[in-house]
Amino acid sequence: MNFTEQFDVVVIGGGHAGTEAALASARMGASTLLVTQSIETIGQMSCNPAIGGIGKTHLVREVDALGGAMALATDRAGIHFRTLNASKGPAVQALRAQTDRALYKAAIRELVEQQEKLKIFQDSVVDLELAGDRVKTILTRTGVKISARTVVLTIGTFLGGRIFIGHEQHEGGRAGDPPSNVLAQRLRALPFRVNRLKTGTPPRMDGRTVDYSLLEPQPGDGNSTVFSYIGNVQSLPQQLPCHITHTNSTTHDIIRRSVEDSPMFSGAIEGIGPRYCPSIEDKVIRFAERSQHQIFVEPEGLNTTELYPNGISTSLPLSVQLEFVRSIRGFASAHITRPGYAIEYDFFDPRDLEPTLQTNQIENLFFAGQINGTTGYEEAASQGLLAGLNAALQVAGKSGWYPRRHEAYLGVLVDDLTSLGTNEPYRMFTSRAEFRLRLRQDNADQRLTPIGHELGLVSKERWQQFQQKYKTITAVKEVLQQTVIQPDDSRVPKLEQETGESISREVRLVDFIKRPRVTLCAIQRAGWLQDIDTKIAEQAAIDIKYEGYIARQDQEIRKARAAEGMTIPVPFNYTEVNGLSTELRQKLSESQPKSMASAAKIPGMTPAALALLAIYVKRNREQRKIA
Amino acid sequence: MGTGGIGIVRVSGPDAKHIALGILGRRPKPRTAEYISFRDGQNEAIDSGIALFFDGPNSYTGEDVLELHGHGGVVVQQLVCQRVQELGARIAEPGEFTQRAYLNNRIDLAQAEAVADLINASSAEAAKASSRSLSGLFSKEVHALDRNILKVRMYVEAAIDFADEDVDFLSDEALQQRVEETRTQLDSLLTRTRDGAVLNQGLTVVIAGAPNVGKSSLLNALLNEDRAIVTEVAGTTRDTLSEKIHILGMPVRLIDTAGLHESEDRIEGEGIARAQSAMQQADLILWVTEDGANQRPTELPTRHLMVLNKCDLTHNSPGLVDGSTVRISALQKFGLNELRNLVATVAGHRASDDAFAGRPRHIFALETVGHHLQKVEEFLASSTGELVAEELRQAHQHLGEIVGETSTEDLLGEIFSNFCIGK
Repeated sequence: MNFTEQFDVVVIGGGHAGTEAALASARMGASTLLVTQSIETIGQMSCNPAIGGIGKTHLVREVDALGGAMALATDRAGIHFRTLNASKGPAVQALRAQTDRALYKAAIRELVEQQEKLKIFQDSVVDLELAGDRVKTILTRTGVKISARTVVLTIGTFLGGRIFIGHEQHEGGRAGDPPSNVLAQRLRALPFRVNRLKTGTPPRMDGRTVDYSLLEPQPGDGNSTVFSYIGNVQSLPQQLPCHITHTNSTTHDIIRRSVEDSPMFSGAIEGIGPRYCPSIEDKVIRFAERSQHQIFVEPEGLNTTELYPNGISTSLPLSVQLEFVRSIRGFASAHITRPGYAIEYDFFDPRDLEPTLQTNQIENLFFAGQINGTTGYEEAASQGLLAGLNAALQVAGKSGWYPRRHEAYLGVLVDDLTSLGTNEPYRMFTSRAEFRLRLRQDNADQRLTPIGHELGLVSKERWQQFQQKYKTITAVKEVLQQTVIQPDDSRVPKLEQETGESISREVRLVDFIKRPRVTLCAIQRAGWLQDIDTKIAEQAAIDIKYEGYIARQDQEIRKARAAEGMTIPVPFNYTEVNGLSTELRQKLSESQPKSMASAAKIPGMTPAALALLAIYVKRNREQRKIA
Repeated sequence: MGTGGIGIVRVSGPDAKHIALGILGRRPKPRTAEYISFRDGQNEAIDSGIALFFDGPNSYTGEDVLELHGHGGVVVQQLVCQRVQELGARIAEPGEFTQRAYLNNRIDLAQAEAVADLINASSAEAAKASSRSLSGLFSKEVHALDRNILKVRMYVEAAIDFADEDVDFLSDEALQQRVEETRTQLDSLLTRTRDGAVLNQGLTVVIAGAPNVGKSSLLNALLNEDRAIVTEVAGTTRDTLSEKIHILGMPVRLIDTAGLHESEDRIEGEGIARAQSAMQQADLILWVTEDGANQRPTELPTRHLMVLNKCDLTHNSPGLVDGSTVRISALQKFGLNELRNLVATVAGHRASDDAFAGRPRHIFALETVGHHLQKVEEFLASSTGELVAEELRQAHQHLGEIVGETSTEDLLGEIFSNFCIGK
């Protein structure tokens, strides 16, 4: 049968990318259909039950600043919040939340169900029917045809998924769900480059069989922090502690003895795994000198006893998993509820995408999430939002939008993916962002909410709240500019004591705060600016403190933008560029950068090589004009 | 930049106007040559000469262009370059002006091919230099420095991005020490590269002295010896004569200050001032006196050597007298080899396998690296990890101008292969 209604945007997949995509296009007013294999799994956290972390927090806050769901859901489901990198500076500070899986899923589902213009349909998609270079309709397993003006594909590891536990292997998405094999085959026929990646999970355990008295407790921040800019600590559920334990030499012996049974070592897995998330086999073999490895014991939720022992992902046979788990302190009589496994899956080379996440071969098809080679809920959610908003823009006949590297971590993410591609599951790190100092997690709203407002992504409530906050920040900066500390002020001794700085002549607050050891809190404690909200005032203070760095980066950005403006035709014949080294020529031919800015990022690229390239690119363009 | 009668520093790009304003103190009239002094940050004159300004797109590169025609001495040119860099310019890549001209449609394809060849040649030269680098100290040391900065960054970035892991090195004394070592390494490299640059660019040597001490004979003697490679270059001023010779393979611009020896007989004039200015800008002055008379001038502005001429008349034996004095006979060509060796030694000339291939842009890059490393040291004690990381990134990026940039991928790769990261 056919759906009689034509949808502006059809999103395939109900994971973190799919839900953000569908929510974003619907918020912008596009009629949207979310097609998922199972409505029950909408918003499912298939790996560890945590949101955020270093680098990822920034993505969550950016999604939030654009009106997305992830931060809001986390604030309803978070059962353990912890601030990371508090002492290393505001730009790299991060927040991580352990979440109750059930609460998280419920929160996402509620947001999806309440969203106007958004409908849900449960079925498996088996085909995309094309007309020319556009997708026309979507065909489901039960024979339903849905006509779509744009399609966002977010099917995660369901593409050609294969699960490994020891010598066992079977086809599957995440454990328990079927893979989208028919669709995978169909998509492989489309003109996109496909590669394989792998990732792993640890065995899950029954908390009733773990001896907590032998574990080291790791308390959270308490009810003091939330993710969303419009979040509220009052909405937080009950908070739980996490725990830490370690592997030991017995554990390592067991693993070393059985490593032949690991499909990764036996060669059964061809996909490449993430270097930052190695399996325990990998850790034991590669870092043989380490006598122990850390394990974070994370609760799965408030109403379940299941535990997620983060740090021991494995694809060893279940018998070996049991043996090594029980050698670990506190786990002596642990029961495994679900074995750890490795999963190998297809991903599309993201270099075949525009930075709007539109595929460059099929103009109304967008890809987001794990199928683009990323890993992580946060990476998926932010891509979903970007794809969804661009699908809606396309439907409205407007040109696409994406943030640049200096505007958002999301900008770094899409630029890295679409210009360099990836050969391991791509995860965000703050070190990926060269303009890290300006991309703080506390100013994502300043960076993006005005754009989100313009795009129609942001609710009236959020917009008003933002404007209020922004007004306060501007006011604080004004006060800092105008306030002069006199050395004979009665508050000065306290200020000197709080900051360790001496004040011998009059100094403006705006200059004083630029000294490295001076914090806004200290100034407030000494008696200035006491009537202003510390968090907001702090943001104004950081802006001022980092002015010099921002100005220097502005120069870098100008230079990068100029290079971005110089596009390189794709494909480009690099063999005709005399003077490039063979190695560079090969790298360039393979990655086919779309601009001089992308070319500059290729490892080994020198200024001289770039200069050469610029000349040949222009020559190529002129020759084509003549021809 | 190189040694010639006139040193031209050319600045191209949107900031050229701003830079002109900074170094000249006012905006020059477009397409009009004016004699003006070039000023440093304290508004002191570094040099004076002709300034020319061309409004884009009607310029060679199609952009705003500022040309500063000053004196040819290496030191002076470096000061001018340094000043325009302070004002926001950077050293051009080989062939970059022509490349820009082509990209801005100022020249045609055939000319562009020539530029490509030029860039090609200079990168081939660079490639040759780097293949020589297996034995060549400069390249080896720059790479070692690059490795060290990468290592430091590896510790700092790991501490930031993997705070949950056992890798918090920020307060580690070993890191502090590593940064100190890296900076010492850089300082030593920088010193030797500065020497090397003088070597590469050549020296400006001025022959000066009282009348009739045999300066012209000395000039001729050195020129005759070097006849095969003598080329005459027009002097910057009417009253000094400049010749290009080689001393032990090192290019030298030899300037005879013809006006100076008559200074006692004439009233002060423009000619004397210029001769004195040539002396001020010299890298080295050969002060010639008659052997036995030994009259030292009261004040010599730069490094100088005493040359005691006409030893054939005093019958003193030619050769080294002390570390900065040599006895010769220009007429009989006695002691000339000793003089050449002394000039080379004073110029920092070393055995060839020790020579550094440092170019001015290398020096500028290294200086900037040093500036950022200094901040790193400072911040490790007093500031947050992210600022330490930013200064390191800047340092690394500027070093990358010499050795090619290090990508984030390389940095992450370094972290993952050295530390057991991940849950």
